[in-house]
Amino acid sequence: MADRQIEFRSDDFQLVQNDKIITDVKLDTKPTTFFKDAFRRFCKNKSSVVGAIILAILVFMAIVVPFLIPHDIENVHSDEAFLAPKVFESGTGFWDGTRAYKQVPYNRQEEVPALSDKYTPAAIRKSLISLTVDEEPTLQDAANSYAFGGTVMFQTDAKVEGKDAYLISKTVDFNSKDGYAIEILFGNEDGVQESHLAEYRVFLRGATDASPLAADEPEPEEPEEPAEGEEANPLFDEEEEQQPDQIETIELSSDQIVMIRDFSTDYSPISFDISKALADAGLTSMKAQIVFEIRAVNDELRYILIDKVTLTAGSKAKNKDMLAAVSFEDGNEMVLVSNKADSAYWACSGRKGVHNASIYYCDFVLDTYMLIYGDTDLQSYAASVLNKWIENGWCSYDYTVGPESFVKLKDDCPIEHVESQTLNSRTKKLLEITGSGFKYKKLGYSSMPLHILGTDATGKDLFKRAFASLRTSLILGICTSAFCFAFGLIWGSISGYFGGNVDLFMERFCEILSGVPWIVIMTLCILHLGNNFFTFFLALCMTGWMGTAARTRTQFYRFKGREYVLASRTLGSSDMRLIFKHILPNSMGTIITSSVLMIPRVIFSEATLAYLNLGLQGQQSFGVMMSTNQPRLDKYPYLVIFPAIIIALMMISFNLFGNGLRDAFNPSLKGSE
Amino acid sequence: MWKYVLKRIGLAFLTTFIILSLTFILVKLLPFEKKAGDDKVQTAYYDKQYSLGYVIRTTHEVDDHGDLLYRTPEDKGRYFCYYQVPVMEQYGKWLSNVVTKWDWGYSKTYQPNVAASTIIMSRIGYSIRLNIISVIFSVPIGILLGIWAALKKNTMTDHTISTMVMVFISIPSFVLISFVLRIFCYSLDWLPSTWPADTAPFWARAKGYIIPVFCLSFGSICGYCRFTRAELCEVMESDYLLLARTKGLTRRQAIVRHALKNAMVPIFPSILAEFIGILGGSMILESLYGIPGIGKLFVLSLNYKDYDILFVDMAIFTTISLLAGVVLDLSYGFIDPRIRMGAKK
Repeated sequence: MADRQIEFRSDDFQLVQNDKIITDVKLDTKPTTFFKDAFRRFCKNKSSVVGAIILAILVFMAIVVPFLIPHDIENVHSDEAFLAPKVFESGTGFWDGTRAYKQVPYNRQEEVPALSDKYTPAAIRKSLISLTVDEEPTLQDAANSYAFGGTVMFQTDAKVEGKDAYLISKTVDFNSKDGYAIEILFGNEDGVQESHLAEYRVFLRGATDASPLAADEPEPEEPEEPAEGEEANPLFDEEEEQQPDQIETIELSSDQIVMIRDFSTDYSPISFDISKALADAGLTSMKAQIVFEIRAVNDELRYILIDKVTLTAGSKAKNKDMLAAVSFEDGNEMVLVSNKADSAYWACSGRKGVHNASIYYCDFVLDTYMLIYGDTDLQSYAASVLNKWIENGWCSYDYTVGPESFVKLKDDCPIEHVESQTLNSRTKKLLEITGSGFKYKKLGYSSMPLHILGTDATGKDLFKRAFASLRTSLILGICTSAFCFAFGLIWGSISGYFGGNVDLFMERFCEILSGVPWIVIMTLCILHLGNNFFTFFLALCMTGWMGTAARTRTQFYRFKGREYVLASRTLGSSDMRLIFKHILPNSMGTIITSSVLMIPRVIFSEATLAYLNLGLQGQQSFGVMMSTNQPRLDKYPYLVIFPAIIIALMMISFNLFGNGLRDAFNPSLKGSE
Repeated sequence: MWKYVLKRIGLAFLTTFIILSLTFILVKLLPFEKKAGDDKVQTAYYDKQYSLGYVIRTTHEVDDHGDLLYRTPEDKGRYFCYYQVPVMEQYGKWLSNVVTKWDWGYSKTYQPNVAASTIIMSRIGYSIRLNIISVIFSVPIGILLGIWAALKKNTMTDHTISTMVMVFISIPSFVLISFVLRIFCYSLDWLPSTWPADTAPFWARAKGYIIPVFCLSFGSICGYCRFTRAELCEVMESDYLLLARTKGLTRRQAIVRHALKNAMVPIFPSILAEFIGILGGSMILESLYGIPGIGKLFVLSLNYKDYDILFVDMAIFTTISLLAGVVLDLSYGFIDPRIRMGAKK
């Protein structure tokens, strides 16, 4: 074996690094820190970058908008309520401060749509798009004041069982000489149930306050009748106040009634000569009411349709006005007039309604800005006021020339043009002028205001309010998140680092606290401390920090056994140093992400509470704004939709941003492309 | 195992007890809202409170019990005065009332003198019915969407579904409700804008369910979809699935028999927990849509300052959330035997 032995001598070896100085080699790659690397990876995630940009814009607007928009959002401006959103000039048809109305009843008398809001007729008349005539369905009791035509539907009151119903006119003087006649036309039955048509009668009932002419008649037979008649005077205020019993108990003697048509179901037209009937009865004159009576059948609904009642008289008759007033042709009008207490010509113990009335509907577009800020009506200004304007250099005016000489020089001038002037009759000096201007000047604006998202019921600018609220929400979110971040970090560090019994106790505490639904904690805090900013902060902090704490604890459990921590510990590092210098920086990314994602949660919580009537008071609040506008979703949808879009955008971009941040900070993805 | 289950349930009971006690004391510490109303109702109310032990009754005014709550009208020169008992004493009485008689107190202003449990029972049905229907809709739809997205990972379908889920999960529920109401109730006029009355015909009531069910299930559909997609994606990349493919299983077999089963392990417990959640109502949805459930009751009792009802309502919400947590944790162990709950190292 000896021959196979190889011998080494010292000169067979050569020192590799002989006389060489060993230094650190510069790294080929660029050095990077954890955060730089995270940022680089964040930038690669397109959607997160987009989210971050949108978020930055929203935050920027939340800071800037409340300062830039001049409108006052602290006080109520009821004059300026419900202005539509406006960005472009009116007339462009999109986002131009106009509001389209459809199928609005049309007021034919004034030639404007029947709106309950205030409006300038001129502005509305211009914007009318179309007019359609439509048939109203049968209306009970209250006729539509903008409808016309139709037949009167007189029926038994379903509420009062089995009582005959009366329709009684005002007392009219009839006599046998002047050729009084009555024509009654009944409505055709189309559209109504024939089985419900009633058996009826029509008659003239002698009124009790006998005229002097009637002295020769044997008229007032029953002495109790007069009093009865006066009480049963058909000038009823309301149908509810009527006493049908009184009408019913009238015992009609044959002297007091002139039958026009006795009980029947004959609906053919009636043409009846009253004067002749009076003469036949041996009466020269009669004060009488025209009475329609429907016979009730059990508790069933019964009615008759009266199309037209016409009273005529010869040329000598004196009470033509009265005859005309009692006659009716337009069913809708008759019902309307008879419902008014002071001018009722017909009273009714049953119910009356309109059948087949017509109504005009119109579609139109209303420029809400012209409505509220537009032309005022003509107004007078004294000469002294005008002189002041001229002194200020707002306008020039020469009263010797007249209204044409008015020239507006500056926008401050409250009037746009002069309509007329009044001169003192003796001195021939200017007394006053009448002119019209824009209303916004009266409201204290120097130019036509612009509300990008319109105004709400209190006249506050929605755009400014939305961003001012967003600012409050963001401040609340950031404050809460910062506190929870700090507190959760400390709590989680202690719990995670020390472990053992400390951890056990701290964990149980968290478990109990996190077991209470946040809504319960928030509600109790608000009930005890009132709904101000500080309470919200406190309550949100109470529920918020546990997430951060749990996350920190997990991270500590993960890292505290690592070699580098052990190495540092053997070198004699204190607990504080280990926690803050070695372990915490490694778990920072995850914790930061969770803190960022906490901000949208806080905004959401605040808004949710407002929907439960526990909203933040004393500050602009998103939730309060949205929940108060919620009932107006039907009529003014923009009041809810725009804030909803803003808050949804905010939440989406926050989540995009947070997700990107989470991926960027995720150490397991580090280095992977 | 059983030891762990018992320990968990015991701990949950303890937590519930502590939370309820704290809530009770905090609610009772609120300033006492004196009850308005006629004397008969008032006397009946305070007598009930007296029999439950929350107030004391004296035949003359005394000074050492704080503010006078109520004084009955004099009857033959006799009257009663009611004073509040110290809060901790009330707490003791409350404990014994609940434990021995299951008596949770009475409504003061909302439905005077009706037992809180009666009010809750009359309303909880609406919440449960609504939530059951929405769970029935949301679970299959959400899971199917999630599976679809995971199987088509990184394709257009996946991106579309993921983006939609991300967008809709970010939108707060009240915003969603506003949009849905605006579109389907006011613009199109297809659905009722408030909850139909109980007397409404069947068809009208069925239509009334559409919007609340839609709004309730939307969030959970998105949640399940995201959860399922993440789980399934993870499972699809695992080694055992690769092994399954290499030993000759088709893609379909591998997915159905191996991937789905394993992906369902964390999903199934959350479905169970959601079924517990059906007991609770959604406060915002119920108050916005006028649904007479217990979520709305919370808002109502706040408005009426009827704190006894508020407390019972809170107790329900708390118990449900704790119960759901316990079920969630326990079911992991039952579904996946590998997970040894509570095992030491």
